[in-house]
Amino acid sequence: MKVAWQLWMQLFRRMPVLIAIANVLRLAALYFAFRWLGGATKMAPLAAIFFVMATWIWHIGQGYGLRSLCVPESFLLPQFRRRLLEYGAIDIGMWVLMPTLFAVVLRAPYLPLVASGFMLLAAIGLMMGCNRRAGLLIWPVFVLFGWMPTLFAELMKSALQSPLTPLLLLATAALLLKLSITPLLRIEDRETDASPLESTSFGRMQTRSAPGEPRRTGALGKRIAALYDRASQRAMDRALNAYKQHPTASRRMVLVRRLLLPHDNPEAIALRIALVAIIVGFYFFAVMHRQHFNPVIIGAYSIMLSMSRFPQLNIGMTRMRPNMADLYLTLAPQTQAEYQKTVSDALLVLVPISMLTALVYTVMGAALVHADDPWHMLFVAAIVSVSASLAALAIHMIGPEGTTGRTFVNFVLIFGVMGVYWGGYWLVDVAGYLIGGGTLTLVTLGFSLGAWFAAQREYQLRPPRFDAPIG
Amino acid sequence: MSASNLATVTPLASAPLYESALLPVLQVRGLEKSFKKRQVLKALDWSVPPGRVIGLLGRNGAGKTTLLRCLLGLSPIDGGAIELFGELMLEPGGERMHRIGFVPQTFDLFPWMKIRAYLDFTAAFYTRWDAALVNRLLNDWELDPKQKIGELSQGQRQKLAIVRAIAPDPDLLVLDEPVASLDPQARRAFMGELLALMRAPGKTVIFSTHITADLERADADIALLRDGSIQFTRPLAELRERLKRVVFTRPDGWMHAPAVAGALKTHVLGEQAVLLVEDPVTESLQAFAERENASVHIETPTLEDLFVELA
Repeated sequence: MKVAWQLWMQLFRRMPVLIAIANVLRLAALYFAFRWLGGATKMAPLAAIFFVMATWIWHIGQGYGLRSLCVPESFLLPQFRRRLLEYGAIDIGMWVLMPTLFAVVLRAPYLPLVASGFMLLAAIGLMMGCNRRAGLLIWPVFVLFGWMPTLFAELMKSALQSPLTPLLLLATAALLLKLSITPLLRIEDRETDASPLESTSFGRMQTRSAPGEPRRTGALGKRIAALYDRASQRAMDRALNAYKQHPTASRRMVLVRRLLLPHDNPEAIALRIALVAIIVGFYFFAVMHRQHFNPVIIGAYSIMLSMSRFPQLNIGMTRMRPNMADLYLTLAPQTQAEYQKTVSDALLVLVPISMLTALVYTVMGAALVHADDPWHMLFVAAIVSVSASLAALAIHMIGPEGTTGRTFVNFVLIFGVMGVYWGGYWLVDVAGYLIGGGTLTLVTLGFSLGAWFAAQREYQLRPPRFDAPIG
Repeated sequence: MSASNLATVTPLASAPLYESALLPVLQVRGLEKSFKKRQVLKALDWSVPPGRVIGLLGRNGAGKTTLLRCLLGLSPIDGGAIELFGELMLEPGGERMHRIGFVPQTFDLFPWMKIRAYLDFTAAFYTRWDAALVNRLLNDWELDPKQKIGELSQGQRQKLAIVRAIAPDPDLLVLDEPVASLDPQARRAFMGELLALMRAPGKTVIFSTHITADLERADADIALLRDGSIQFTRPLAELRERLKRVVFTRPDGWMHAPAVAGALKTHVLGEQAVLLVEDPVTESLQAFAERENASVHIETPTLEDLFVELA
């Protein structure tokens, strides 16, 4: 029990906010369940929804915690795997058996289905926390749901009646658990660390590897990483040769960019776009059943994809700090502000890159869905992506370093940008390209330029930091 | 002449008997390990008896860290077999884990945890855990239990890793350059703790280091890793007794290094020819010097000299 307690405590130490949210949701579920018990049957769906959310969030946290815990050195702890198994059993007791008993007391219908559903839900949460790529496995369900809704509804109806469904759910849960946990329990040689500022389009989320956590890359991932590495090496060689021939300030800046942003050279950008095209193609396949496409959603999604680079920049710059001391000494600036300006100027290249990728993604989206007015989409995307990228760069450059603050900023930025795209699309639709587009440009660019200059000034006032982040 | 010749030399009668009836703590046979196309360990054989301090020496990139990690199952192997406490080490697991302590080369784990929380977490797994020793060492080594690991310097992290490794009173302690980041006081204190640990019967320590003075202080057996295999494992006293640095000096200098029986390494420095000779016969060396119109000087090399010559 000592070990289980310590493992449980890990969650609170590592992700206090997430765990607090999960527990609040669980309490809410309990409250509504008691109301249900008291006779308010209308509270049943609320109790179920809150519990589903609590289970899902809690197990995402468990998965994330497990990811950071399963480093090779941990396997030297006596009976480590067995202790994890015991801890898993306690978790099942708390999140599957106890709620099932409660459901028995409440005389809830479909009890075996409910119990196996709890199990599957926990497995999905765990999988999403500990193995991001395994999260793709739930896509086929959505494809089926969207592509053949009638068939899906029929399947669901039959499944509710079938005695085999709980077994199927349990088997699925077992499969998901195996797929998520097995890679973590495998001891492998540590992969070479990638640049904290890499951008391969795989790690779309800001939750990248935890400190000390080994990189876990599959065979395909390794091949693609090698392609990126070769492209960055070639770009660096070209920049070096150009600088050797004519050592100008602009070529020096290119060198700094090649070092800081290894995957933001033309070749790597092309590769990234190609990879995203494949992912978008899959997404299109998932939604191709739809008869009418909302161009605003397609456009907003394209902008959102291109904007996903900036959260990576925030966390990447923090993790890059110890390496930046070397760059500082190499650049030998006259003042710290000069160095800070060099860095911020180097990062500014992300704005045109982000705009370019947004436009390419919009073209792809428009072509895939045969949009009625692709120029309209492109026009708004061009204006919004420039402004949004500039604002995102500004905010992430001086923004919060903590996970909670960063997550909040990301949500605000992503939903804000999608909202602006939506509004901009409507404005151009109503007021035309000249008036609507002009107003949109004036408002968004005015805001983002203001944010950028303010952020740049603030960044230059700050002393450079070279200390390693705590974790 | 190669250092590997040393491996074939019969140990002196006074040396500890490796062929003793005691079961080796560690037995490695034909260990192979590659990273991509680079082979680091090549058919490595090694046997470590209980109750000894083994200093693993090798140049940078020789594969010391890889070997130590393979021994503990922290790095998958490509071939061969490793037995730890008489059981095959396919993966780290089983009761024997209670008997093993490990200090990695760099400790960059769990930076978000506080020292006390990390030690409590670790202690929960062990049946033996010397809490008094932990508290004493934290106090002596000025580690604040409330401080986060991420806030510690490299040296402090290394101290923490050492505390964590010796707290379960392990029978086998594996240390990968444990003193590299320690200040002289901390290094001395660590060596004191290590020697105290070694006073208990049956305790074995394997540690890689470049600080040869520590190995001399611990009177360690020296294992040399070179070219992907252990060239020899022999007590330091035996090495120093049998290997001598022989310096021939003559004003005319040397066109070629002189050929002397038992020479393991030779090089010429101006008017001096310097040889590392195993079991030198003083009379024959003097006779050779007279013939060559040279003077001869025989000295006992330091461990660092031996390392420079052999590694």
